[in-house]
Amino acid sequence: MITEQKVKDFLQTGGYIADDAIATAVFLALRMEKPILIEGPPGVGKTGLAKALSAALDFPLVRLQCYEGIDEGKALYDWEYGKQLLYTQLLRTQLDNYLSVSADLREAVDRLSAEESLFFSKNFLVQRPILRSFLSEKRSLLLIDEIDRSDDEFEALLLECLSDFQVSIPELGVIEAKRKPLTILTSNGTRMISDALRRRCLFLYIGYPELEREVAIVRVKFPDLCEDLTRKMVEFLRKVRELNLRKPPSVSETLDWAQVLSILKATRLTPEVVANTVGTIAKHQSDLQKVTELAIQELG
Amino acid sequence: MERIIVSFVAELRNCGIRVSPSESLDAVQALGLAGMERRRLSRQLLRLTLVKNVNDIPVFNEVFNRFFSRFPSLDPKAEIPDLMDAALIDMEGEFSYLNQVQDDHDDNGPLLKFDSDINPEDLTELKSLTEIDPDDSDGTEITVQMKGYRGTSKAPRPSRRMPQNPLTIELNKAGAVDRGITFSPEEQAAMQEVVSRMMLRLRKDMKRMKNNQNRGKLHVIKTIQKNYRHDMVPFQVALRRKRREKPRLVVLCDVSFSVSHASRFMLLLLHTLHNQLLDVRSFIFNREVAEITDMLANMPVNDLMQVIDTGDIVDLDANSSFGKVFLSFKKKYLENLRGRPAFIILGDARNNYDEANDWVLDEIREKARYMLWLTPEERETWKRGDCLIETYGAYCDKVEVVKTVDDLSLFVEDLLRDIYADHAHPLDRKRLREAKEEEVYDSKDYYTRGRTGDCQPSFDPSGRSGW
Repeated sequence: MITEQKVKDFLQTGGYIADDAIATAVFLALRMEKPILIEGPPGVGKTGLAKALSAALDFPLVRLQCYEGIDEGKALYDWEYGKQLLYTQLLRTQLDNYLSVSADLREAVDRLSAEESLFFSKNFLVQRPILRSFLSEKRSLLLIDEIDRSDDEFEALLLECLSDFQVSIPELGVIEAKRKPLTILTSNGTRMISDALRRRCLFLYIGYPELEREVAIVRVKFPDLCEDLTRKMVEFLRKVRELNLRKPPSVSETLDWAQVLSILKATRLTPEVVANTVGTIAKHQSDLQKVTELAIQELG
Repeated sequence: MERIIVSFVAELRNCGIRVSPSESLDAVQALGLAGMERRRLSRQLLRLTLVKNVNDIPVFNEVFNRFFSRFPSLDPKAEIPDLMDAALIDMEGEFSYLNQVQDDHDDNGPLLKFDSDINPEDLTELKSLTEIDPDDSDGTEITVQMKGYRGTSKAPRPSRRMPQNPLTIELNKAGAVDRGITFSPEEQAAMQEVVSRMMLRLRKDMKRMKNNQNRGKLHVIKTIQKNYRHDMVPFQVALRRKRREKPRLVVLCDVSFSVSHASRFMLLLLHTLHNQLLDVRSFIFNREVAEITDMLANMPVNDLMQVIDTGDIVDLDANSSFGKVFLSFKKKYLENLRGRPAFIILGDARNNYDEANDWVLDEIREKARYMLWLTPEERETWKRGDCLIETYGAYCDKVEVVKTVDDLSLFVEDLLRDIYADHAHPLDRKRLREAKEEEVYDSKDYYTRGRTGDCQPSFDPSGRSGW
């Protein structure tokens, strides 16, 4: 019996510090077998959660990166036309022999149609990520990344897959998932996701973490950085987030910065250190200046 | 439990959150799995299953606290710290850790923390303490907090001061408290309808275009795949799909008092349109210019209106100056405009006798596909006073007078049609143009276009003409 506390613990062993909301969402998704839709600013660990889960639960990760123009041929399945063609060519003599015993045309057609399923069988099916995760022997983790980049049509295509965990292939019929994968969708909110899709998912919003959690995250990834510096750093970044920048630094920037500081073997946070490494936190020219000014004001 | 969830869901729906039956089933199932012993956990479970939109989270918190304080017997084991937590969250908003700046407006937080002999009933009473000032506790938590930061010494906004402001008249009539300019649910619904009607019309045209949409280069693989049942004789040809470009818009909205109603409806229209098919960047200006694209996409429209009304984004007390605005727009934003957007400026071009700087428009023009000017003022008054519309209009493709919501939506529709037609195949373009000409030269239609019966507002006597 899993509880949300256990989820939290095993995520922590996987190097992902989750808060209550995240742990509860994962717990529910596991128990209810429903997909989770994660929204939030870039770099707060939406994709990271999926990766950590796949490592912690030992579910193979199947990742589908969405982009404008993605379609079922890229996401669900495709027929291997070349192979089908090759086989019919190669089997032509066999087919002739097979059909030559039939007395008349009608019988030949009947015999051939009895074998029809041979040519539209799973042998000729290319499994794309979603189908692959459905047919995986082991329960897998299906990550549909940045769903907001895809088109509306693709979203509609996902509805069947996500609510019933099945794929309809006209030639084969409905293929149901062997083990329902733990499904995670991420979105950066650049486009509204339709209500139909939201309805099928649990909705989790991951914002910027609170102070203690962020410190813990940095401590897990860079244990050699001294605790005092880590705390100073995170506190400073939280102030930076309130600066109204074009691209506020998120957790991934915090980690980058921590890495830079540990490489530079910095022991104290001074305006000079910030000025030298500001490129890891701020990603726009106008932001650079604001951050350096804040550093002088806060740390000088 | 089911009964409680059902009535809770009903309460959520009352407050404007859309919850489907299957979501309430999910909630029941989730509670069954995790139990209801801990309030915090139950709240998270309900939030995960019932709320599917970031903007709805504050409303959900409010409803949750209100609703479950009504049933104190529901969770007898609820611990006081948890309840206080919930109450604090209720008062300060879920994301209060982001706003750690001490605000002196609402400092009864510590009071709660020190008092140990508190029972749930007291807490609900305490919560009502914050509602003493009906002016300031109105709206969602975010807006309440924002009010806390607003300087009290500032003069009231013109829109609050002026009794002839039709919207406030409407609101006051309804007995509502003064809350600047917000849109009633009916108005929002009406806008939704206008937009969806517009979408329907557009979609019909798009369908006509779709057949030719694929005209591009030959898609070799798809053609082979399609024709191998014909033994490779290419009966059916598959062509590469041309990338369908989203129409891009850049909108500059004057929010000074003189045109505030027009611009607010423009903003509402954009808000409604925003994620449907457009790539819009929106700016508002008075004396300075600021981008509000993100806010428009992520905030409920009424909250945004209130933020604008407080003058936090652009100072509303200054005199509007178009020349200055254009100059600073050029400096800050002109470089990173993507594509060739259609450029719409909404304003009355009353420059308060400042420098015109109309040469900037020439530069913007080079970057823009179309340049359009919308003004709510009648043509007769254009030459009076400090109005520079003749000067600015020379740089624009079109200067239009928009006075009603329908005018506005018709105008935007025409614009979108034009943009789509630009990307379309020449054949389609011709067909579209013909269809449009038919429409325009229909003599019966000419005078009535955009002035159908229901467009005349029924509450005209109050001074509220189309806006």
